[in-house]
Amino acid sequence: MTIWWRRHRNWLTPALLLAPGLFLFLVVIIWSSLETFWISFFDWDGMGVKTWVGLANYRELLDDPQFYVSLKNNLIWLLMFLLAPPAGLAIAFLVNQKIAGMRVMKSLFFMPLVLATVTVGVIFTWFYDPTFGLLALLFRAFGAEAPALLSNEHLVTFAVVASALWPQIAFCMVLFLAGLNNLDEELIGAGRVDGARGLAMLWHVVLPQLTQVAFIAVAITIVGALRSFDAISVMTAGGPFGSSTTLAYQMYEQSLFSYRFGYGAAIATILFLIMAVFIAWYLRGLIRAEKGA
Amino acid sequence: MNSVELIGLDKHYGQYHALKSLDLTIEKGEFIVMVGPSGCGKSTLLKTIAGLETVDTGKITIGGKDVTRAEPGDRGIAMVFQSYALYPHMTVAENMGFGLRMARRPKAEIDVAVRRAADILRITEQLDKLPKQLSGGQRQRVAIGRAITRSPDVFLFDEPLSNLDAALRTQMRVELSTLHAELGSTMIYVTHDQVEAMTMASRIVVLNKGAIEQVGSPLALYANPVNRFVAGFLGAPRMNFIEGTTTEVGTDDALVQLAGLAPLRIALRQGATVKTGDPVTVGIRPEAFAVGGSKPASCPARVRLVENLGRETVVYADASPLVTSGSDTGTRNVTIQLGSAVAVAPNSEITIGFDPADAYLFGSDGATLTPAKPEIQSR
Repeated sequence: MTIWWRRHRNWLTPALLLAPGLFLFLVVIIWSSLETFWISFFDWDGMGVKTWVGLANYRELLDDPQFYVSLKNNLIWLLMFLLAPPAGLAIAFLVNQKIAGMRVMKSLFFMPLVLATVTVGVIFTWFYDPTFGLLALLFRAFGAEAPALLSNEHLVTFAVVASALWPQIAFCMVLFLAGLNNLDEELIGAGRVDGARGLAMLWHVVLPQLTQVAFIAVAITIVGALRSFDAISVMTAGGPFGSSTTLAYQMYEQSLFSYRFGYGAAIATILFLIMAVFIAWYLRGLIRAEKGA
Repeated sequence: MNSVELIGLDKHYGQYHALKSLDLTIEKGEFIVMVGPSGCGKSTLLKTIAGLETVDTGKITIGGKDVTRAEPGDRGIAMVFQSYALYPHMTVAENMGFGLRMARRPKAEIDVAVRRAADILRITEQLDKLPKQLSGGQRQRVAIGRAITRSPDVFLFDEPLSNLDAALRTQMRVELSTLHAELGSTMIYVTHDQVEAMTMASRIVVLNKGAIEQVGSPLALYANPVNRFVAGFLGAPRMNFIEGTTTEVGTDDALVQLAGLAPLRIALRQGATVKTGDPVTVGIRPEAFAVGGSKPASCPARVRLVENLGRETVVYADASPLVTSGSDTGTRNVTIQLGSAVAVAPNSEITIGFDPADAYLFGSDGATLTPAKPEIQSR
């Protein structure tokens, strides 16, 4: 036994350690994805008989105006969320200064990360309240009337994204702060001796050292924008008139409230394909970075 | 004209006194090597000259210009860092031309300067590569090339060879000396390696606890250390220090009593402040010892360890009651360096001896009491 173990432990140890995670991944991710893909070809209410409909769900989806609203909103989420990495970087630079009291500032910026997304959503709902909200008070201080952001079909998505951006920026800030701590001091010194200062120093010496971190920040932000669901669920439930849904929310809505599991699965498949593009890009960058290091 | 002048440099890190009122004048074209134990302030001093660290008080001039508060890029210096500090995302050529690019020099001029530096360092083939594609020695060359390209008044080196293996270090040492002869620029070099100090320096600066102990040519420092610290710092293996007392002090010599030896008559320099009965330390370089009874002062000893290096032999011998203090080995054995391969068996009984004329005498404050010795011994 021991001899057998000693001979094989080089591959058995990692295999045994990986097994639980691999098992869960296969069941929860791979198997579920494949099953979702399969269900997307059926008309199914989740309990009764499945009826094979072929590509009918996808055909319906292409004619569904709600799908295009979701797609457009996902794009808004994506573009606005991409503000998070640069904003996080700027704040990271700010709180990284050696100034008295910066520790407190750092903690304050860190705050939204310890809150659940749902909590942030609820807080922002109160904040946006056109009668009693903080926003209303601010507008009133200037003698204006606050817009009802969450009831305005043109503004609602922007308002929801703004609330979700808050923790996302804090997250990027933490990533960049870690990156700033790892800056090579001799490299900065070399830059100073070479006469680089201000923006030139930032661009040629500091930022190139943060590319790895920036890559991770952008990738996680993109995935976060695409799977956006919880903030919408808490703040608007997709309203008003379905004007703030995203693909993830529409999928949830169709499957669980309209009992159209086949249709929901079709939306999920489309969302999966969109994400796959970004994930492929992310993995390519990751592999390239590992080879380079 | 003086190339670099440091006047009363003083620096604290919080409570820690890093530089203590340092003064140093460096002539144009000198190769200054700063040595000292870890934490002696040598790297801090180099960084203050570079402008990467500020000083509390004092003045730094480079080429006659006061640069105490100037930015590193405006001081007319270039620096080679221990970790090479090459910009990882730039090619070798871009790395080398970065300083001139920041100074907004025309592209043609940058190309010429980079080519010239690459020729000197024989890295022309590597110009389009990235730093990560180079070996340690090549990276070191690029870092030096980056310094040359800026044609600075003063080159600063911060332990540049410490990340290289022994063979490469020897090669780079020779190349740096050659480079210095070729360029004729002022170079200030920080190291903890005394071989680098002895071989490259036109003058060595020995630092200890943020202050300069002694400045001088390598041989002057080796032959005539001003105090026990410098005597112990330069020379490997280290000088033997033996504690004793003076039994009689004359005008130009003193009788010193060491345990296990007859009283030694050791010459005193003019104005040496020592009284009869003072505790003193006798310093004897390992190479001043001989095996056998040929030397005037000798005693029996038991061999503890022999290091046969081929060209030389280092013998560690227990000569108690004659014991040394503060040795490299942490024992109280006497270290003897013999000039060739010698058959000495461990645990054998030998007689070791030295000539009191070769001995150094240090007062209780560490200051050297013996008169100057010739830098080159006539044998």
